[in-house]
Amino acid sequence: MTNEFPFEISPMFEGERVRKDDMYVELAGPKSKGFELVRSVDPDESINPVDDGKFTLIGPDIADMEEGGRYPLAMIYRISGELVEGDLESIVERRNHDFQNYIQGVMHLNQRYDIWLRISKEAVNKGLDTLEHIARATMMLFKSELPFIENIEAIYITDMAEVEKELDDAFAIYEARDERTRDLHDEDVDTFYGCTLCQSFAPTNVCVITPDRVALCGAINWFDGRAAAKVDPEGPQFPIEKGEVIDEFSGEYSGVNEKAKSLSSGEYERIKLHSFFEYPHTSCGCFEVVGFYIPEVDGIGWIDRDFLGNAPNGLPFSTMAGQTGGGKQVAGFLGVGISYFRSPKFIQADGGWDRVVWMPKHLKDKVRDSIPEDIVDKLPTEEEATDINSLESFLKDKNHPIIERWESEEEEVEGEVEDTSGMTQTQSPATGYQYQQNAGLVPPSQMNAPQPSYNNSSSGVKISFKNAKISIDKLIIRKKE
Amino acid sequence: MTRVIAITGKGGTGKTAITTLLIKYLQNSNNTTLAVDADPDTNLPETLGSEDERTVGDVREFMLNERDNLPPDSNKESILESKLFEVINEMSGYDLLVMGRPEGPGCYCYINNLLRGILDRLIENYDLAILDTAAGLEHFSRKLIHDIDDLIVVTDGSRRGLRTAERIRDLVDELETKVSNVYVIANKVNESNKETLEKTAKELGLELIGTVPQDEEIAERDLTGSPLFEISDNSAAFNEMKKIAARLKI
Repeated sequence: MTNEFPFEISPMFEGERVRKDDMYVELAGPKSKGFELVRSVDPDESINPVDDGKFTLIGPDIADMEEGGRYPLAMIYRISGELVEGDLESIVERRNHDFQNYIQGVMHLNQRYDIWLRISKEAVNKGLDTLEHIARATMMLFKSELPFIENIEAIYITDMAEVEKELDDAFAIYEARDERTRDLHDEDVDTFYGCTLCQSFAPTNVCVITPDRVALCGAINWFDGRAAAKVDPEGPQFPIEKGEVIDEFSGEYSGVNEKAKSLSSGEYERIKLHSFFEYPHTSCGCFEVVGFYIPEVDGIGWIDRDFLGNAPNGLPFSTMAGQTGGGKQVAGFLGVGISYFRSPKFIQADGGWDRVVWMPKHLKDKVRDSIPEDIVDKLPTEEEATDINSLESFLKDKNHPIIERWESEEEEVEGEVEDTSGMTQTQSPATGYQYQQNAGLVPPSQMNAPQPSYNNSSSGVKISFKNAKISIDKLIIRKKE
Repeated sequence: MTRVIAITGKGGTGKTAITTLLIKYLQNSNNTTLAVDADPDTNLPETLGSEDERTVGDVREFMLNERDNLPPDSNKESILESKLFEVINEMSGYDLLVMGRPEGPGCYCYINNLLRGILDRLIENYDLAILDTAAGLEHFSRKLIHDIDDLIVVTDGSRRGLRTAERIRDLVDELETKVSNVYVIANKVNESNKETLEKTAKELGLELIGTVPQDEEIAERDLTGSPLFEISDNSAAFNEMKKIAARLKI
């Protein structure tokens, strides 16, 4: 099938590097300009339909290029077909990298406006003297590997002025695509991804990566998980079927729970992806930020690896990270990746941003755009709050939403709670708890953080109050699903 | 198959000088060669006469700092690969890759996992990969580069130096990295200690494949900072390197 080309085409040439000494010409790359772009065209388009198999070159061809020279390169593919739609453009575009690397003597690196190609002297000597060969081979591979492409044409540009002219349009298209991609959420997909890279030191860690939840290390998002799992499903990143939705709001799925059980060797049976207190995600040790419950204000503070001082509870990152890490579900602590602050589902089971009462300034600045407007100025950093007292007064002064929780607690709940064995809903610490004012001196394990009950018996709940005076604005009681 | 030769030894024994002489020899051979400076101290570029300061460490930091700004569905492996190729210094007759600074406090599991694959594929493009490594053997534990064909331990002309070589040889068995051969090169050797060295090496069961003589030109270039790579072709040290290369069959 490759007879028509003066080169061989095979996946075995992937990874072939054309070194400077062996290079005939360099196209695009860090020292020049270029891009690759796939556009889908409506099959009913009448003015400018896809002319199947057509190749257009604007600018000099390989034969006109100086040996050892460097030239810009834009590669635009127009595709159409019954099943071709706009959302497929980026997936198709990504394959250009694979297919061109199948060509012996051609090196293709990177993607979009960062592409970088080299053609070897040997390939040119064997007859690769026109870009048309490369375009035709690529189009042939597109059609045979992605059969939903019925028609394809290629426009290559090697003229700098023309490349620059097209580049702005290309940027706008990439930007629009990214907008759509960022709009992908947990409910839009059937598959999450898991990662076990950290299990060497956190053997029960279950890292679940979803569109709304980046890996704890911050390095792997859902798309990275998908790409890695596709290449090597037996590798450290693998698919997790979502299964049944148990509770979308807190992020509980039957598929995740099953994986939690097997990956933690039975240690954990449930994980709620967007919960802080109840069945939280396990914490490995790689997490970029650790969240910690501050019982005195019933809120959650966050401290990141780069912040070297102490949080208002008197503890530095390292101490709390030590408490949190090791692949455990730790009540009152949670490790996350920085991008999780940008998630619209950020600890939504426990109040989301309304529950956040402290974070270091540089972390706050980093995620500022994702903090709801009505909270952003009410959220103290080390500049406003260094201990519990200053934290409390700042929150009070600014009327942080957490105050509402205090007010409802002040309604004198002198209740006595009996038989909590069947409780699965973690309570905010009511006045029945003794708060430790000197939390810094107390090991966090002894702090009065709410302890989620893992005893999930079905015996029900019995709560009795004595001399109680309770006022409640809203109470929702739901049957357990 | 690429032959991977790693050069190690205690600090100050002249690992980098030996690596430089070997690269110089390979510059004009028919082999395609990748030189890797795996010592965080990064001395090899200077002795080779390269002024390029970009390192794999920079690439790692770039990925760590930029990853949230990249398009969400971008293929990070492909970006990392391209960035890595950018820091390859294409010298005349060989390529140079500098590993650079060690990792910062963040989590590098994911990036290192990708780098491992990329480096493996990169190395396969060459006939020979020559690694100038740090004094200890810790870097092998990170397994960024695995499977070494020849481990060359550079030692000075002392008995203690040979003892160190012996220890390193014994340590190799405990590494997860596969090492096929272990050789010793004695550096800064003079007429008075050469014979004793050869005898001791034999006693310890070490395969001594070369004794590089003390060379005035090396000392002088060291002092003035002019690249050792430009040492004259008929200097005593370089002549010995030619013999070593022949013994290594390269």
